Amino acid sequence: MALEIIETSGLTRSYGDICALKPLDLQVPEGEWLSVMGHSGSGKSTLLNLVGGLDRPSAGSLKVGGEDLLVLTEDGLARFRREFVGIIFQQHHLVPYLSAVENVMLAQYFHSVPDEAEARSALERVGLGHRLKNRPGELSGGEQQRVCIARAIINSPKLLLGDEPTGNLDHQSTVMVMELLKELRVEDKFTVVMVTHNQEVAAWGDRTIYLDDGVLVREERMRS
Amino acid sequence: MVAMKFIPHLLSWLGIVLVLLRGFPGRRTVVTVAGSAGFAAGLGGAFVFISSTPGDFLFSIIRDLVGGGLLLLWGVSVAAIYRSGVRDFPLSWGERLLSTPLYAGTAALVAGIPAGAICACRLSGTEGNAPAFLLLVLVAVALVFAALAAEKLLPPSVTMSQAGLMAAVVALLIFSSSAILRLDLFSPLTMKVMKFTHDFVHQFFESMLIPDHLFIRDYLWGYIGFLFGKEVGFWGGLFIWFTPVVIVALAVSFERLPSVAHIRRGAERRKIMAAAIRARRIRLVIPVLAAVILAAAVYKSRFPSVEYWDPKPVPVSADPTGEILIPKKGDISLEDGKLHKYLFKQGGREARFFILTTPAGNLTVDLDACAICKPDGYGQAEGTVICYYCKTLIPLETVGKPGGCNPVPIPFTEKADGVHIDGITLINNWGNTVQATTRIKEGGK
Repeated sequence: MALEIIETSGLTRSYGDICALKPLDLQVPEGEWLSVMGHSGSGKSTLLNLVGGLDRPSAGSLKVGGEDLLVLTEDGLARFRREFVGIIFQQHHLVPYLSAVENVMLAQYFHSVPDEAEARSALERVGLGHRLKNRPGELSGGEQQRVCIARAIINSPKLLLGDEPTGNLDHQSTVMVMELLKELRVEDKFTVVMVTHNQEVAAWGDRTIYLDDGVLVREERMRS
Repeated sequence: MVAMKFIPHLLSWLGIVLVLLRGFPGRRTVVTVAGSAGFAAGLGGAFVFISSTPGDFLFSIIRDLVGGGLLLLWGVSVAAIYRSGVRDFPLSWGERLLSTPLYAGTAALVAGIPAGAICACRLSGTEGNAPAFLLLVLVAVALVFAALAAEKLLPPSVTMSQAGLMAAVVALLIFSSSAILRLDLFSPLTMKVMKFTHDFVHQFFESMLIPDHLFIRDYLWGYIGFLFGKEVGFWGGLFIWFTPVVIVALAVSFERLPSVAHIRRGAERRKIMAAAIRARRIRLVIPVLAAVILAAAVYKSRFPSVEYWDPKPVPVSADPTGEILIPKKGDISLEDGKLHKYLFKQGGREARFFILTTPAGNLTVDLDACAICKPDGYGQAEGTVICYYCKTLIPLETVGKPGGCNPVPIPFTEKADGVHIDGITLINNWGNTVQATTRIKEGGK
C-alpha cells in the first residue's frame, strides 16, 4: 500500500471573514496524479498554496511527505519548498532577461549550487535541447511551459504542483505538455497535484476532486 | 582598577578555550581539564619565577614562546596550503593523531601555559601574592565553564580546520601579550626587519653592489633612503605578521570538495556540494577572525595605552670651564629612578640628554638618542625605556651600556654636589650621533 504523501484533516484557510477553504480531509498517496477542479473562487489555488508551503492554514492539520507544515518555521518552509516541491504556474514566471538554461539554473541556485550540464540535460529531456540560449520572449507558450517543467523537476521534487499549467496553451501544446508530464512522472516517480478548469486535462490524472465554495463536493477516479 | 587590566588577557583566555572546545569536538572534558591545568601551571610558574628572579628574563622567555607560536603557525599554514592543493596527501597517521584525546589535551595544555604566564606578567610587584594567584586561577576556571556554555550556543555549522584553530589560538595569545609593553611582539619584529634591511643594504654598499657612482641619480637615492626608514620595518613586520593567517584562509578556500560523481540524482549531488561549500565558507570565519585579532594586537603595539614618562627637557648651561653641573637633589631628584631630560645649548649647537638612576642604583648620563635611529628620544614605562623611533624597549638595567638601540652613554663625574658633564664632549657626541643617524633616515645620501 502506497504511503500518503499529502494528509489533511479539517484543513481550513480564511482571509478575514471569507473562508476560502472549508474544513477539508484529503489523502493523496505517493505517486498519484490528482486533478483538482472547480469554478473560480472555489478554493483550488488556496489548496495548492497550502500544500506547496506557500501559505499557512488557518486551522486543521496538514502533513506533506510526513512533515507537519504547521510547525515548520519560515526557514523550514523555505527548505521544504526548495527540496520537496516543484511548481508550474499558468503564467510561467520565467525571468525574461535570462535564457532558458539560465532560468533552470536559477532554480538550482536557490536549491543548492548551479550545474549547467544538468540544466541543459533537463531541457533536453523536455525537448528543448535546441532552445537552450533563447530567452522566454523568443519561445512559444508551449516551449515556455516546458522550460517551467524543466525548472520544476530540476531539483528532483517528490511533489509537482501545477496551477492551471495549460491554461494559456492551445490544444496541441496542451497535449504535448501533458504527455511530457506523464513521461517524466513515470521516470522520476513524483506525485502530481494539478489544478485545472479543463476536464480533458483533468482526465490525465488518476483521480479528480471537485471543490465548490471551499468544500470538497465530489471525487472521481479515472479509468486507466 | 587592578581588575580592569586583566580584561584583555581573560577575554583572550575565554576565546582560546572556546576555539579549542569547538576545534576538538567530543573532547570537552580533556580540553577543559588540560587547558585549566595549563593556565594554572603557567600562571603559577611565572608567578614563582617573577618572585625569585626579578628582571626581564621571564618576559623574554614568554615573548619567545609566543613568537615561536607565530613561527609554528607559518609552518602549519604552508603545510595546510600544500595539503589543500595536493590530492591523496599521505598523512593518514597525522589525521589519526589529530583526532586523539592525547593531542587535544596537549594542545589545550600548551595553549594554557603561555596564557596563564602572560596573566602573571600583568601582576606588578606589590600585586603578586598568593591570593591574587588563587583569584586569577578561579576566574580562569570560571571562564572555562563560561566557554563550555557559550560553545553549546554556537551553531553546529561553525567548524574550523586544524590550521584555523592554531591561527586563532596564536592570534589570541599574541593579542593577550600585546597588552603588556614588555611582551609586545610586533615592535621587536618591526625593529628586527628594519635592522635586517639596513644590514642587508649596508652589505650591498660594502660589496659595491650599490656603487656610489655618477649614474646613481638622486631619485634612486630616495628609494635607497626608504630602505633605511622605519616604514620598511613596519611593512615588513606586517607581512610576517599577517601572511600565515592569509595562507590559512587561502588553504581553507582551496580545500577540496567531496567527490560526488557516484551519486546519480543531480539534486542530491548538488545538495552535498552546496553543504560542503557552505561549510568551507564558514571555516573561513576563523582565520579572518584571527587576522582581525592580530590587527588589534598591531594597533595595541603602535598605540599602547601605557603613558610614558617623558619630561620636558630642562635647559642647562655650562660654567666658564665648560662644565655642566646638575645637582642630585633640589627641584629634581636624580635618584628617584625616573628619567630626567636636559637640553644644553652652546654656540648655536645643542644636545639633548637624560640622567637616570637604574634599579641597581647606578646613575647614568646618556644622550636622548641612539647610534642607530633618528633622534626621536626616549620615554620611560614599566621598567624600561622605549626608543620612540623604533619602539624598542630597553630594560632599565641595561641603560648606560653602549650599543644597539641603547641610548649613547656620556662620560660624567659624580661628586657630592652633583653630576658633572663636559659640555664640549656632550655637544660633540650629540653632533656625531645625530649626524650619523639623521642623514640616512631622511631619505638618502
